[in-house]
Amino acid sequence: MNQWEVFVMDVAELAEGQDLELTIRTLNPGVQKYTYKRVRAQVSSSLDQFADQLQVRLGRGQLSKARFSIRVIEEIQRCPAKYL
Amino acid sequence: MSKISAPRSNREFVEACIKSGDAVRIKQEVDWDNEAGAIVRRVCELGQAAPFMENIKDYPGFSYFGAPLSTYRRMAISLGMDPASTLPEIGKEYLKRTNSEPIAPVTIDRKDAPCKENILLGDDVDLCKLPVPLVHDGDGGRYVGTWHAVVTKHPVRGDVNWGMYRQMMWDGRTMSGAVFPFSDLGKALTEYYLPRGEGCPFATAIGLSPLAAMAACAPSPIPEPELVGMLSGEPARLVKCETNDLEVPADAEIILEGVILPDYKVEEGPFGEYTGYRTSPRDFRVTFRVNAITYRNNATMTISNMGTPQDEGQMLRSFSLGLELEKLLRSQGIPITGVYMHPRSTHHMMIVGVKPTYAGVASQIAHLAFGSKLGPWFHMVMVVDDKTDIYNWDEVYHAFCTRCHPANGIHIYKNTVGTPLYPFATPHERKYSIGSKVLFDCLWPVDWDPVNDVPTTVSFKNVYSQEIQDRVAGNWTAYGYPPVK
Repeated sequence: MNQWEVFVMDVAELAEGQDLELTIRTLNPGVQKYTYKRVRAQVSSSLDQFADQLQVRLGRGQLSKARFSIRVIEEIQRCPAKYL
Repeated sequence: MSKISAPRSNREFVEACIKSGDAVRIKQEVDWDNEAGAIVRRVCELGQAAPFMENIKDYPGFSYFGAPLSTYRRMAISLGMDPASTLPEIGKEYLKRTNSEPIAPVTIDRKDAPCKENILLGDDVDLCKLPVPLVHDGDGGRYVGTWHAVVTKHPVRGDVNWGMYRQMMWDGRTMSGAVFPFSDLGKALTEYYLPRGEGCPFATAIGLSPLAAMAACAPSPIPEPELVGMLSGEPARLVKCETNDLEVPADAEIILEGVILPDYKVEEGPFGEYTGYRTSPRDFRVTFRVNAITYRNNATMTISNMGTPQDEGQMLRSFSLGLELEKLLRSQGIPITGVYMHPRSTHHMMIVGVKPTYAGVASQIAHLAFGSKLGPWFHMVMVVDDKTDIYNWDEVYHAFCTRCHPANGIHIYKNTVGTPLYPFATPHERKYSIGSKVLFDCLWPVDWDPVNDVPTTVSFKNVYSQEIQDRVAGNWTAYGYPPVK
């Protein structure tokens, strides 16, 4: 199970049952903690719907009480290939 | 100029601070994830010794030095002065050195540059190999650059710029940062690189000598490498980067090299800021791609934890903004007696003392201050007379509350240059860096009769004869009071 975190202005941005494009950061322990990925994912307020967990922070870093489970469908690479 | 014995590197500075009791060694393990940041924050709020953390979780061999210049004592040490020097003494020394002849930097061979002791290139480049701290819980990321210099060069004019633009680690090769449109780098990006779709080479130097950090933080028109030389009394030692033509301080602890991307942005923030709040919104901001990392053996990462007063951002910006404005006003012949920003204003209020010999001098000062390159960093100017001690907040506050006419003494300027960091600004103003300014004119009007119109200040020093003052002061303990220091 992986732990992820997302920043949103409004928890309503995390619509359930839809494919969402999100920037999420890992909360897994280790030196990569807090590094980001851009992903296509689905979320659910049912914490056992998906294997990974997602916690939410709001616009100024406030930790939301809302919790989700998340399925990362794929990583999206937006950075132009010439820079990779 | 007499020989200056200022610390030439962050290491020399740490040792000098430990020797004087202005830094402490922390040998127990400290977690990079919040704990180190919390230590530095508490040190700032309590005004205590700078923490030198020698044992960082997950990062053996690295160390942290936090709150490097968050006290005037450490600022004095950085300049090679007695730690007990007063603020006016430190300011006078800064003005003397920065009004001296420029001292050009020297470029040294890379084999002599400590920052080249370890070099990571290609697939080895990974910011996660550095102990990048999560400074405040809830920050948008781990911040690589909190007390550092981002080195760039103007593509046409060739001007070198060292600026302290905060940088957040997005992934192992990518950082994002807040670069305001009115800043030197912001202007170079919007005027040149972005319209052409060209990448802007950069280098980030972390763990600088304190005077190099002071130069990077100061809004001086003097190029920073020369300013370092003027402050330290000898040429700054630079070395060429591995992957671009920029030159960086050879004694820095860590160097990141790369390119600012013209056509790709990632999110940055939120971040605890010098105003004492998280104000600027998370947004897609200037994005840095890292192509090389070089660092000293046992490298020390410097951490500034900005927040409520007082940290080195507030201290040093207040100090240097005030003194640079003093130079500007004197250069224009304004009869000022001094300029000071109290750090606790989070460098938002400029206090100017002036001998009010003609009408409109307060407005003249405000126009120069707000219209200068310094202007975006503060939004209040308070002008007091030459009898008010600008360093004494009690006197300044008294002058403000009693002499500033509510209808005639407060002048508001709208639609000025601002920053997204102003806590009072509307969301729209933050997004577009729109500001507002205010002048508090605390001078008695010059068209008032000085005898019959201007109120007399009623104080011990002002209403009693010297003979009475001396008698009362001389008998003070005889009256039964403790001695006055």
